[in-house]
Amino acid sequence: MSASAVFVLDLKGKVLICRNYKGDVDMSEIDHFFTLLMQQEEEGLLCPVMSHGSVHFLWIKHSNLYLVATTNKNSNASLVYSFLYKLVEVFTEYFKELEEESIQDNFVVVYELLDELMDFGFPQTTDSKILQEYITQKGNKLEVAKTKVPTTVTNAVSWRSEGIRYKKNEVFIDVIESINVLVNANGSVMSSDIVGSIKLKTMLSGMPELRLGLNDRALFALTGRDKGKTVSMEDVKFHQCVRLSRFESDRTISFIPPDGESELMSYRINTHVKPLIWIESVIEKFSHSRVEIMVKAKGQFKKQSVANNVEIHVPVPSDADSPKFKTSTGHAKYVPEKNLVVWSIKSFPGGKEFLIRAHFGLPSVERDEMEGKPPITVKFEIPYFTVSGIQVRYMKIIEKSGYQALPWVRYITQSGDYQLRTNS
Amino acid sequence: MPYFGSEEMVKELKRALSNPNVQADRLRYKNYITKVIRYMTQGLDVSALFMDMVKASATVDIVQKKLVYLYMCTYASDKPDLALLAINTLRKDCADPNPMVRGLALRNMCNFRMPGMTEYIEQPIVAGLRDKASYVRRVAVLGCAKMHSLQPNTEIDGTIVNELYALLRDPDPVVVVNCLCALEEILKDEGGVVINKPIAHHLLNRMKDLDSWAQSEVLTFLLRYHPRGDDELFDILSLLDAFLQSAHAHVAVATLRLFLHLASAHPAVQADALLRTSAPLLATCGAASRELRFAGLCHVQQVMRSQPGLFGMHYKRFFCGYSEPSYIKFRKMEILVELVNDENVALVLEELRSYCTDVSPELAQAAIAAIGRIARTYSEKCLDILTGLLALKQDHITSAVIQTFRDLVWFCPQSTAAVCQTVEACVDSPQDSEGKQALLWLLGEHGDQISSAPYVMEGYIDGLKTELSSAVKMELLTASVKMFLCRPAETQDMLGRLLHYCIAEEESDVCVRDRALLYYRLLQRGVEETRKVVTGPKSDPSMSVLTGRQEEPIRQWASTFNTLSPLAGRDLCPQTAVVSAADQPSSSAEKELLPESTDVTLSSPDDTEEEISLSLGPPLSHETFEKMWLDLEVLHRQTLGFPRPRTAPDTLQAALQLVKIQTLAFTPGDTVPWKAYIYTRSTGTLILAELLQAPGSDESLVVSVKQQPVNQHAIRVFVSILKSVLQTPNADSS
Repeated sequence: MSASAVFVLDLKGKVLICRNYKGDVDMSEIDHFFTLLMQQEEEGLLCPVMSHGSVHFLWIKHSNLYLVATTNKNSNASLVYSFLYKLVEVFTEYFKELEEESIQDNFVVVYELLDELMDFGFPQTTDSKILQEYITQKGNKLEVAKTKVPTTVTNAVSWRSEGIRYKKNEVFIDVIESINVLVNANGSVMSSDIVGSIKLKTMLSGMPELRLGLNDRALFALTGRDKGKTVSMEDVKFHQCVRLSRFESDRTISFIPPDGESELMSYRINTHVKPLIWIESVIEKFSHSRVEIMVKAKGQFKKQSVANNVEIHVPVPSDADSPKFKTSTGHAKYVPEKNLVVWSIKSFPGGKEFLIRAHFGLPSVERDEMEGKPPITVKFEIPYFTVSGIQVRYMKIIEKSGYQALPWVRYITQSGDYQLRTNS
Repeated sequence: MPYFGSEEMVKELKRALSNPNVQADRLRYKNYITKVIRYMTQGLDVSALFMDMVKASATVDIVQKKLVYLYMCTYASDKPDLALLAINTLRKDCADPNPMVRGLALRNMCNFRMPGMTEYIEQPIVAGLRDKASYVRRVAVLGCAKMHSLQPNTEIDGTIVNELYALLRDPDPVVVVNCLCALEEILKDEGGVVINKPIAHHLLNRMKDLDSWAQSEVLTFLLRYHPRGDDELFDILSLLDAFLQSAHAHVAVATLRLFLHLASAHPAVQADALLRTSAPLLATCGAASRELRFAGLCHVQQVMRSQPGLFGMHYKRFFCGYSEPSYIKFRKMEILVELVNDENVALVLEELRSYCTDVSPELAQAAIAAIGRIARTYSEKCLDILTGLLALKQDHITSAVIQTFRDLVWFCPQSTAAVCQTVEACVDSPQDSEGKQALLWLLGEHGDQISSAPYVMEGYIDGLKTELSSAVKMELLTASVKMFLCRPAETQDMLGRLLHYCIAEEESDVCVRDRALLYYRLLQRGVEETRKVVTGPKSDPSMSVLTGRQEEPIRQWASTFNTLSPLAGRDLCPQTAVVSAADQPSSSAEKELLPESTDVTLSSPDDTEEEISLSLGPPLSHETFEKMWLDLEVLHRQTLGFPRPRTAPDTLQAALQLVKIQTLAFTPGDTVPWKAYIYTRSTGTLILAELLQAPGSDESLVVSVKQQPVNQHAIRVFVSILKSVLQTPNADSS
């Protein structure tokens, strides 16, 4: 993969911190990065790869930071991006939020992490759980050579340390499905799919062996056997810890789990799902005077279920003023900095229909600039329910000390990228 | 950036660091060191504190150690003499009982990028390679590569290379991968690390223990291995099968690349692999990270070059989301254009139509151009949309539509009549120079079909004084002349005015004036003469009956798959030696000797032509040579014009060895015909040659050269070196 150096820059292009791994690209090359970026932005041709001479910059943006890797080789680009995102992930786990301030406040730890994450341009230890065992944020305390190399750095099971202890042994299993929907302005569903994942929060002592049982329908879908009848899952991915050979031979998902939170598996179902919350909207714009908005939301799911924390974001023109709302339930708020009306409904039972009317004034002098047509987006969460029908049948936990452990299962269906285009 | 008063600050820090009271209070001392590093991070020059910092490295606090080491690495190259003072401390730390400290010290010592380090770091590295803690071994292995990069031109240390090869069997997976990377760096000039059968199988069996970075890395190295038979090939493929569905996009794509490469002789296997990875690829196209999404789209584009139908039914996945950045939208539109078929054309066009009114003018123009591309097949529907767009009366849209019309007429002459009708009805004229040029071209070329053409043109001629772009003026000249040829009566007067303005009045641009003069003199020669010169084809002459896009063979793109070049734009592709690696069916043995195709720098081939030297590299076995000799084509044959050297075989062999040409075999004494087989390496290519002196061929030597991969420049260098060597003993003996 060979990244030559990694830089963290602020929004003005100033280097906050950097690490030269290979020494084959001049560190001052980074000065060209921001100029190139500005130039491309002006031309409207921004690209995540930029080149200056023989040096290539691969960059990502996170909050108010640019993370840039330089290379002069024909490196594996997706690997470099994945690494940059890994950096973001690790830093975020350390500092809660990764932004300019947290980098400046924690530059010692950042240096330490950069040192362990990569050497000579090759990723080394990138698992933040393992890193946290030997790079800590004690701040002002002295650390007198407590620092043993953690066993995990060299363990056979690289994702779990030995000697973990909990008083109460528990596993929390979350089955989460996100619905992505794109609906055209004339109401036809352009694309829809489900992205599911099974997340674990493991609080178990020792080196437990876990076995997860799923319902048959899910398993058939997983293996794509029962084509035609049920939906088949595309693109199933397991955590590194799952023994793929066992799954191939007898369909059991067995593994030694990582400690704490992890994603055990993820899948995608590319199928035509009925949009769980259906939106009909009429946006009428009377130039120079007003905008009138009517949005109808309908819960297209079982009556017993309830969608929680529903938020419907309706775009309004940027020069709109004096908002007036009338809602049949929930409350509406105008967010001028995002040019949105946010209509929130705490609980939205299935089969119900709600309505909002909004009225905005428009200035008599119109702006020249064209405005985009942002879609209406919807956020929601429906507990105790999955669209695909996947279910956890059992979770067996075996550890050599023979303790009893409790598995807890929770199902949630939530909105992913849920967009409905508007006519206006 | 030197802050105001930064000198004061450094002085103050120096005072504090050397204050015995501060040194006694560990916490205070450490805080001052942290302060130094903070200033260093902010770009202040604190190199004056080097001596004090070296002293601070003698501590039990690991974080303080790290900070001091970091400081030293940063300033070592500026202060090599002072840095040498630190080396003793570092070497002592390399023998610390705590493996963490050992690893840290060794890593930082190797990071001192200054000449003369090698002698100090060699011994600790060798010791580190045998350390019982894998943490230290990881560091030591990469240390070997760092040591080599400090002195790239020195002889390769054979014992270290052997040790690294042995460490490929280390129980720690990261050590294994670091070994591969280090060997690759060290043996760069000899074609990189050799992956033979035992190594390949060992790596394949370790795959599942590795983390995702290591898997990706190993998969790339395995590209170099060629299984001996179909049985082995399919064993490997089934071992790798699970990784096609890896949770990490980069692993899945790297596996696909390896599949495509290994199965190059089995198109069915390749097709199956592509089919199975189409789901993960599509998933990357919807990844949460926009950069990975972008990378995924670029990969999809590459795959579509060979299998345009693979993603046909998933076309909706390539509809753009509102908040996606434009680089993703551009790629998605390019893909959509390729995926259009009879069933989805209506939906795709409707989608593209909605992009045409995007806020970003670049995006809107790209969407219009995309519709134009589809119009080459579905002209009627597209022309309706494009005409509808003109009614929006947005400058950038009008301009883009007119440009699209020009391209459409050029590539698809059957739509000319419809386009002309629309242009005639279009009231708005484009405001930017590209749009004006496009309109003028259309008017000039198809003036006979647009009845209002001369009047539009007249408007432009009258407004000439305010026109700034000389490209527009030139286009106007050409268009007017063309128009004059088909509608002389209406155009004559204005053409006269135009020429007069450009030649006699104050036209400052020489090019425009010259163009005007050219037409003026041409017209003086007569209308027929002008017609012969000015009128060209009205549509792309290379276009024949419209067919679907040619499906390219997979090997055309497989070599750059999953690298940077498809993302950085097609022109960056290193089309030099890389492609041929996949081109030729080759045996496993020679695969080992070939350079890694991914790590070729993205420079143009010309850059590498500056210096080509020959090198020996690992010896070839007789079998390998024979196999390659039979497989390859003769690239170059030349009669050298002098007989073979009459020296003893040993002398000749030694002479060739001096210029780094290895002798494999030659016929003894005076056997006729006399033959010799030799080989050498040069900048990543392997050159094989045969010297032949046949009877009756004027007693002259004939050299035939075969090479893999092809590099003509290297052959020329080789032949000239060979000639001079062969002539030297001749001169001696005579």
